Amino acid sequence: MRPLLALVLSILTAAVAGAVAVTAPQGTVEVFARGELVDVLALFQVAGIEVKFAPAAGSYSAVNADHQVQFTPGGTLAVVDGRLLALPGPVRTLDRHTVATVASAALLLAPFDWTLTASAAGLILSRGVTGDRLELSVVHAEDGATIVIAGSAKRPRVVATAGAVTLQYPGPIMLAQPWPPGPEVTSAEVQDVSLVLRLAAGLEVASSYPLEDPIRFVIKLGKPQAQGQVASARGSATVVLDPGHGGEDQGAKGPGGELEKDLTLQIARVAAAKLQGAGVTVRLTRDGDEAIALQHRTALANRLQAVVFVSIHANASVAKGAKGAETYFMNADASDQQAAASAARENATAGADTVELILWDLAHVANLNASARLARTLQERLNALQGIRDRGIRQAPFVVLTGATMPAALVEVGFLSNPDEATRLLTTEYQTELAIALADAVIEYLKTPSPATPTAPQP
Amino acid sequence: MKALRPLLAAGLLVIGVLAVIVLARMPRISAPPDDTPSGAPTPTATAGTIVLYFVADDGSLRREGREVPEVPAATPALIRLVLDELLTGSREGLTSPFPWATNVQAVLVDDQGTAYVDLSPPPAEDPPTGSNVETTLVYAIVDSITANCRGIERVQLLFGGREIETLGHLDLSRPIAAGADLVTP
Repeated sequence: MRPLLALVLSILTAAVAGAVAVTAPQGTVEVFARGELVDVLALFQVAGIEVKFAPAAGSYSAVNADHQVQFTPGGTLAVVDGRLLALPGPVRTLDRHTVATVASAALLLAPFDWTLTASAAGLILSRGVTGDRLELSVVHAEDGATIVIAGSAKRPRVVATAGAVTLQYPGPIMLAQPWPPGPEVTSAEVQDVSLVLRLAAGLEVASSYPLEDPIRFVIKLGKPQAQGQVASARGSATVVLDPGHGGEDQGAKGPGGELEKDLTLQIARVAAAKLQGAGVTVRLTRDGDEAIALQHRTALANRLQAVVFVSIHANASVAKGAKGAETYFMNADASDQQAAASAARENATAGADTVELILWDLAHVANLNASARLARTLQERLNALQGIRDRGIRQAPFVVLTGATMPAALVEVGFLSNPDEATRLLTTEYQTELAIALADAVIEYLKTPSPATPTAPQP
Repeated sequence: MKALRPLLAAGLLVIGVLAVIVLARMPRISAPPDDTPSGAPTPTATAGTIVLYFVADDGSLRREGREVPEVPAATPALIRLVLDELLTGSREGLTSPFPWATNVQAVLVDDQGTAYVDLSPPPAEDPPTGSNVETTLVYAIVDSITANCRGIERVQLLFGGREIETLGHLDLSRPIAAGADLVTP
């Protein structure tokens, strides 16, 4: 009899140890669990959220009327309403159950406004009605500040306006505690699903990005660039030249360790002098060996309402034979245009900030033709130089071009990774030839009236 | 000992009933396919040709066809195969688009036609930089995946499990559509 008793007891112990009590609004249920891992599909069922397995994608899809979350057994990534979410631990298959750590399961349930928390008695699955509790902190820096926002795994859309930055979250939010006015962030308040931060005078958003472990969202604030060099001609339109890279970002390297950042600055300075001599107002995004965020470079041009933005670079390739000059302008693929148009329709009654954002998007698209003409003019002038290989004009989503609200192009004057071309690129004579070709192209572009140059919105 | 038997039997009965109640209260969920860790069903594999893009000596991308013994039916497995073959390198003397030692850490596909590919991160010190290095890396991957995987229109690259804004030039914070600009016949 004793062996039978032991067997039954062990079965029962396994059954109890393999489950966790989940307290949900409708009552308490037992859900498969093993150590830190809990059956995530069972939790979705308790929450009343449908989960389907898509064999072709190898992933599960949890869907309700408003949200969709996809996750893959064996993976640590999930797609939440089209945005990627890194999970603290993988979703796994265990004893025919699809399991995840409580922390990962909580993140998968959060988009549906369900909160999963651990308690002494097991797990509590509750309907979140208060929204994510955002914790704000500001790190001061000599040239600006960094705002760190913890408490939400959702990635907000960042809308920078004069004197403020608005973070639009996909779901409800609240501030963990009231924000006392500080030297950089003068106020912080929640308006609907947006967090509005008012900034001290002289500060603007330089960049924003999410961080993990723990999950945070970071906004870097910077001071607008001090007035650059180069004289101005009375009342003329401003051209912004952007010497690529700078500071710690050295760019490509030549065979002898020569740096792209030095080459681009030299070419930009000579081109600026030539333009200035022709009566064109010119600003450089940097006039020294400084690291400047890509967004900051176009922000300067946007703020000055520049009519032309040219970013100057030297190239490098994994292919040793690659040589020649090429010019890029931004590509806005069809989906971007559709997104801008549909956003405009959906937000016809939205506030001024939203409208400004849409105008901004539309300005990008409207500038495509002018940017293509600018790129073509630059490339033709470079092609006229002796012995240069024409690599043509191309389109790619360069960060420094997508932020510009005026016709913009990025020139790659040649390959520092090609020893022969590098030798030529590093001579003062050739640098001057390249600079004058670029300046002449800008002058030619400015002289030819554009058929439909749109007005960029006020930054 | 014999006197304990009825008590034991009654105890066992109670325990058994409790076990049935506990098990019955656990939500019934259809178990996922458990043949692979990814939960994907066994694809019906057939031999076939895949298309890969490598870097030509002039820094453009060139197409290279390759016979493979099995073309997986499931999209994530096919993406992994394409990337593994791309990482193996060209058989026609073309250059690898990968500027640093890379492996594929994860592949995820959503139902909007976007594939997410997680690669090992670039070296912290002195990563290779240059817009052609970036464009050939990004478009060799995007063009190879979209050429072989029906329904995949865009690819978002992740490095070390994270979305990154850029490697220095291209905007990698969003999925990238295939681009023919760099490809030469």
